[in-house]
Amino acid sequence: MTRKQLDRTLLCVGAAVAFGLPQLIDSPTYLQIIILLFFYAYLTSAWNLVGGFAGVLPMGHAVFVGIGAYTSTVLFLQYNISPWIGMLAGGVVAAAIGVIIGKPTLKMRGAYFALCTIAFAEGLRVMIENIDMLGPFKLNGPRGLLIPLKGDSLAAFQFMHKEPYYYIILIMLCLVLAFTWFISRSKIGYYLGAGGEEPEAAESLGVNVANYKLLAMAMSCFLTALAGTFYAQLMLYFYPKGLLGLDLSFEIAFIALIGGRGTIAGPVIGALALRPLNEFTRIYLSDQLPGLHLVIFGLILILVMLFQPKGLTAPLSRIYERLAQAITTPGGEKS
Amino acid sequence: MSALYQSLVNGTMMGAMYGLTALGLTLIFGVMKVVNFAHGSLLMVGMFAAYWLLKITGMHPFLALLIVPPLLFVFGYYLQDLVIKPVFKSERGVREPLTVIIVTTGVWYVLDNLALMLFGAEYRTVRTAISGTSFSMGEVIVSWPKFAGFVVSMLTAVGLWLFMLKTRTGKALRATSMDREAANLMGIDQYKIYNVAFGLGTAIAGVAGCVIIPFYYVYPSVGVVFDIRAFIIVVLGGLGSIPGAILGGVVIGIIESTFAQFMTSTWTEAIIYGIFLLILFFKPSGFFGNKQDW
Amino acid sequence: MNILEISNLTKHFGGLTAVNDLDLTIKKGEILALIGPNGAGKSTVFNCVAGVYAPSVGEIRFKGEVISGQKPWNLSRRGLARTFQIVKPFGPKTVLYNVMVGAFLRTNSTKVAREKAEEILTILHLEHLRDRLAGNLTIADRKRLEIAKAMATDPELLLLDEVMAGLRPTEIDEMIGIIRGVRDRGMTVFVIEHIMRAVMALSDRVVVIQFGSKIAEGTPEAVTKDENVIKAYLGGEYGVSGN
Ligand SMILES: Nc1ncnc2c1ncn2[C@@H]1O[C@H](COP(=O)(O)OP(=O)(O)OP(=O)(O)O)[C@@H](O)[C@H]1O
Ligand SMILES: [Mg+2]
Repeated sequence: MTRKQLDRTLLCVGAAVAFGLPQLIDSPTYLQIIILLFFYAYLTSAWNLVGGFAGVLPMGHAVFVGIGAYTSTVLFLQYNISPWIGMLAGGVVAAAIGVIIGKPTLKMRGAYFALCTIAFAEGLRVMIENIDMLGPFKLNGPRGLLIPLKGDSLAAFQFMHKEPYYYIILIMLCLVLAFTWFISRSKIGYYLGAGGEEPEAAESLGVNVANYKLLAMAMSCFLTALAGTFYAQLMLYFYPKGLLGLDLSFEIAFIALIGGRGTIAGPVIGALALRPLNEFTRIYLSDQLPGLHLVIFGLILILVMLFQPKGLTAPLSRIYERLAQAITTPGGEKS
Repeated sequence: MSALYQSLVNGTMMGAMYGLTALGLTLIFGVMKVVNFAHGSLLMVGMFAAYWLLKITGMHPFLALLIVPPLLFVFGYYLQDLVIKPVFKSERGVREPLTVIIVTTGVWYVLDNLALMLFGAEYRTVRTAISGTSFSMGEVIVSWPKFAGFVVSMLTAVGLWLFMLKTRTGKALRATSMDREAANLMGIDQYKIYNVAFGLGTAIAGVAGCVIIPFYYVYPSVGVVFDIRAFIIVVLGGLGSIPGAILGGVVIGIIESTFAQFMTSTWTEAIIYGIFLLILFFKPSGFFGNKQDW
Repeated sequence: MNILEISNLTKHFGGLTAVNDLDLTIKKGEILALIGPNGAGKSTVFNCVAGVYAPSVGEIRFKGEVISGQKPWNLSRRGLARTFQIVKPFGPKTVLYNVMVGAFLRTNSTKVAREKAEEILTILHLEHLRDRLAGNLTIADRKRLEIAKAMATDPELLLLDEVMAGLRPTEIDEMIGIIRGVRDRGMTVFVIEHIMRAVMALSDRVVVIQFGSKIAEGTPEAVTKDENVIKAYLGGEYGVSGN
């Protein structure tokens, strides 16, 4: 077996397992946990376009999840527009807002950018909590929005079982991974990496660093907002504090850093490592010891940063390389 | 008119204390170029330390000022030495120590939730010798604990400023903040200086804990309330600037107390964020920040 | 034909005049060296030409068109490339990645950019370091990488800021060969250099500046005999005879 064949085989096995999983898992609770795992992996991949490739640290990305959820839900509730269309609309709104906020802030040093994104996200959350009606749009302040049940309906993006949600988020995840893979190997990816590292040097090589960062921001915000609509349809209820709060923003950044910032697999590995742990400690330990799961969360983050500052993907891919070398016939094509 | 004076006085006093909470943050950033996301949690630790000290001994809060800050200094010193320094070292060649920022966020999660596990989620207050007392200045009523907090905040800021200018350690701190490599060449141990800066920043959070506890409640996530405000203040005042932190704090305090007369407090919060974003757009280096710092 | 014409260039930093009323032209295909003591304003001239600073006074023409005040990324598109005195590699990326960033200026295809980058790495004898991280290179290799990145943008005019500093004598000889090769590929080369041996070996013409003003200009031999130049360097650490 050559190296390329091994990679392909593993990818196919992985895909087969992922697509077959709902056949094996009956419990909707477990399926929900996996759906959320994919949801987080998706969000982190979208975040990675800015936080990983463009080399800055956005710490308020939940705000774009919220923009996606609010846009599609308001359009659906008030104008009966299908959430699928609302999803795209939310993406466009989020990309526009991302560009507006990114224009002055992406020039700044990392620490400032991180602070600004936090302040912006918190500011918008507080704002939405104060607003019942935004012009003609009903946002319903801190109480949030409830989507009425319509029964199984693809057009209304509502399903009585978990499986359809599972497949939707799985496909979204595969698409975003393919997209980031493509970007990382394209001119845009090279330019983002260069501009994030040494802006002055990149500019002297013909890179308009500010514009490329804005492009990354727009793509990232667009993709993030799509997941917001998904979340709204999955839960059929959301409110500002839960959806736009800093907890979600931080968790995205944590998953990225633990998995490996700026790598394709990092978000998936990070979500695989953190989400189950997070869910199970929350379910089994939070009664006796509230907060323990977050202490563990923080400790893992600190330990990974201390011992694997590049994230878990780096050592894992080294192990994989070694295994692959042992299995494959030498002389195979270089990857 | 008297309502206006009243809100100006209240705003200034609260604002000075906000400035105090931002002082440690700005000091640590100035020296290490790291935004310490755990700063609110350190403040929470300071408040709990003051709370338990006052609760158990019943001592005067001014006396606690002699005990809590030194304790917090030690805490901060070793927190930096044991947890943050190793990451800092591994990121030495990197221009922007972003991983360090994330580690401080991890510290935040650990501290807040440890407090939750140890003390539970309830809001706690303690009656001190000065709680609930006030005096009047013309038509304006001044609360004693807030006035004391104002005075202590100002003294701390001036003290820190003098310390930075006059003492050997202060000069070493400033040298490191201006140019790490040069300071290194001059024989200053950069990491030791970082420990001291982190310890001092934490000690100031301890001072803030002592002055806030007589009129405010403490609970495990109390830091978040002050944290976001402190971030805004340091950006307004210019990251790394001592007078900027106090001035930024007073500005925020006055905005808060003045607007509070016309609208609900949640709207005031929204307005503070709005003003903050406007400043970012038009003067991102803040009142006193160095241009190079952003 | 003059590829670069600098007239009356002045650049102030606050109260300090780093470049003072400088006139300078480069003919297509020549190698011009700009020399002068430390702090004379050499790098500032480069930064003005490359669009990092807008000149305070004066005009810069590249291929006949005024370019003063243009942004660096637009200038590199027009055919101007530069290296930095303090090298700026994309440290955590591979050498190949670094050079590909430059190569992407003339193509959108990753494949073409990679081939181009590999070609340049071969020219600069860097191909064996292709997959190393740029941050881990020796200083000599970093300087060569700096040139490789700039060359990958297919420039007509290449500005090299002290690419010999910190190199060992054998490495300097190698670098002289590399720069000659660059010129033979049709590029015009404008170098800043302290090492006189390299200046003598390389340049067709030399311009000397001190305190931001031109004090001499001519062939390397003529310039080293110039009284003003000897005075400027007298007591300095740079013996005109080379070191
Ligand atoms: N961005 C800047 N701001 C303020 N002053 C500057 C700036 N850049 C350069 N200078 C000053 O301008 C003068 C010329 O600097 P420049 O770097 O051009 O000298 P140089 O000839 O390249 O010297 P060297 O041989 O040391 O590289 C110096 O006094 C320097 O301190
Ligand atoms: Mg120079």
